[in-house]
Amino acid sequence: MYKIFYLLLTCFYICSAKNSLHSSMIRHFKPLVFSAILAITLSLGAETKGNADEGKKIYEANNCGSCHNLDKKVVGPALRGVGKRRDIAWLTKWIRNNQALIKSGDADANALLKEYGGAQMSTFENITPAQVVDLVAYLDLPKPPPTGGAKKPGVPEPPKSDNTLYILLALIGIFLVLLLILNKVKNTLRKLNAEAAGEELASSNKNWLQRLLPARLANMNQVVLALFSFAIVVILGGGYLYSFGITEVGVQKGYAPKQPIAYSHKLHAGDLKIDCKYCHIGVEESKSATIPSANICMNCHKGIQKRQDDESGVDISPEIQKIYTALDYHPEKSGAEQFGSNGKPIQWIRIHNLPDHAYFNHSQHVKVGKLQCQTCHGPIEKMEVVQQWSTLQMGWCIECHRNTGIDVANNNYYLALHEKASKDMKENKSRSKYFGPDGKVKVTVALNGGLECSKCHY
Amino acid sequence: MEFMKKSIHIITGVAALSAMISACTSRGNNPGWEYAPDMVYSKGYEPYSQGDSNTINPHGMNMREPVHGTVAFGKEGYLYPYANTAEGYEAAKGLNYPAGLEDKEGRGKYLYGIYCSPCHGATGGNDGEIFKRGLGKPSWKNYQDDYIKNIPVGQIYHTLTYGKNLMGSHAYVLKPEDRWKVVRYVKELSGAGIATAAPADSASMKKTK
Repeated sequence: MYKIFYLLLTCFYICSAKNSLHSSMIRHFKPLVFSAILAITLSLGAETKGNADEGKKIYEANNCGSCHNLDKKVVGPALRGVGKRRDIAWLTKWIRNNQALIKSGDADANALLKEYGGAQMSTFENITPAQVVDLVAYLDLPKPPPTGGAKKPGVPEPPKSDNTLYILLALIGIFLVLLLILNKVKNTLRKLNAEAAGEELASSNKNWLQRLLPARLANMNQVVLALFSFAIVVILGGGYLYSFGITEVGVQKGYAPKQPIAYSHKLHAGDLKIDCKYCHIGVEESKSATIPSANICMNCHKGIQKRQDDESGVDISPEIQKIYTALDYHPEKSGAEQFGSNGKPIQWIRIHNLPDHAYFNHSQHVKVGKLQCQTCHGPIEKMEVVQQWSTLQMGWCIECHRNTGIDVANNNYYLALHEKASKDMKENKSRSKYFGPDGKVKVTVALNGGLECSKCHY
Repeated sequence: MEFMKKSIHIITGVAALSAMISACTSRGNNPGWEYAPDMVYSKGYEPYSQGDSNTINPHGMNMREPVHGTVAFGKEGYLYPYANTAEGYEAAKGLNYPAGLEDKEGRGKYLYGIYCSPCHGATGGNDGEIFKRGLGKPSWKNYQDDYIKNIPVGQIYHTLTYGKNLMGSHAYVLKPEDRWKVVRYVKELSGAGIATAAPADSASMKKTK
């Protein structure tokens, strides 16, 4: 195509240059040059067939990419080099009205329909036969060499071992030992010095504890001293262990296990702004929010096989391949053969392990209480790896139930409570419990039985 | 030397204790310590409990697939008459919007916002974040396109039920009535609206026995 453009440019140049060139020369050459250019242009035009740039525009304007990819099967076949496989007249018929072509009994068309499991292509009668030629020219372009692609795909970072604490402790230990040694050396030197001077040091027959302690304590009875220091150790250590026990043992806040697929909530819920309910479909209907089944992934990942900014050069990202493996899905096949029968469930690791003896229901909190997911799960749309955000301790539940006001007036779920509350207030009975500390009406979850033991433990 | 030995014992003891205590703080892959785990993990089968792997069911799962032919919970007693084929899509033209089905609470809009807008955009401009990032768009431009104005409601319903091209089936999440409400909202977005005076005995809401 560019060749034609340059030839025409040359032609234009020669024509316009007649003023500067000798006129007689032009007069002799002009017809010759023109005929030569015309002949070359015609022969080239017959060779290239259509404008690939125009073809690209047509391809994009008609969103052919929604079902086709140039180099791999999506819904329809891979299209690169289609002009070499089919003749242009057949392609024109197929693209403009494939259904008419199928009905006419064309063998190739019907074979194609069968191969793709009866999935019908839309008709594109808005594309003129001349545009089909351009389109095919675009589709016949050779594959461009991959850009970038130097990075190796899917090399995971070595796991960071969290041993800073141990290093710190070891260092502290070493320094303490050094301190003690130096102290010992100092004492020995002092002792030697005293012996040399013929004196006797007062502290020489004290033990190490007596030496560490101030004189008043050190002169106490040894047994009392031992008991006293033992009691201190027991009280401090016990207190520490007790507080540790109630804040850490059995509390999994911060638990962020590595999942079988490196699914990023930051990408999906944050950047792509997909509503949580798109995947966690049970959250308004049932006790659990539900872990999405793989078919939900496939609503998008049938078409999206790698990140847009993926430069590793792979066709299918290894993480998305795991979904395909779980479903036994083979994108390179077509029709009913795409799904095999050897699917294997993805074993996600459960993060929020509420004990069996406590009952929790998502629908009650999300549908009735109209809570945001983030209230309990934290800024999930910013988490690359999900971690348990709340403690899920009983005190945490109770505190929220005591303090959260409920919208009794505008929520049919609280109809009975609303009637009772308005009746009580009219009759001036137990009025005070319906008011918050600021004097405004506030009906809390606790007033609706949110603190009853049997609501959660049964 | 006695003194040295003692202090080393104390120091290593303290270090070991701190290491042990820090190991039971939950962080990363470590869920931390538990007390009485037999009261935490359910002995009965629960769909998502991970106490012990189930030894009877395939893949160690507690859930099992329903028996073939089971009518799923939430089917609302309606069966969809057409198959997921080109003929079924053609036949779906005959479906009408169920008579008397109204949507005063705006449920269609609500569901559209969750399940459709990530791709098709808040007002049907095909400009949702996922389409912006390269998932293939449909061949029509937006919901205000003549294609959506003219397409029979039954075919939108069919598409929601089975999916079409790159779009997957949304029957798993939209119950039949919800599906019709979404169809209604889509038609409202297109500006064409919906013909509510449909014959009462349409196949769209045929009750099963």
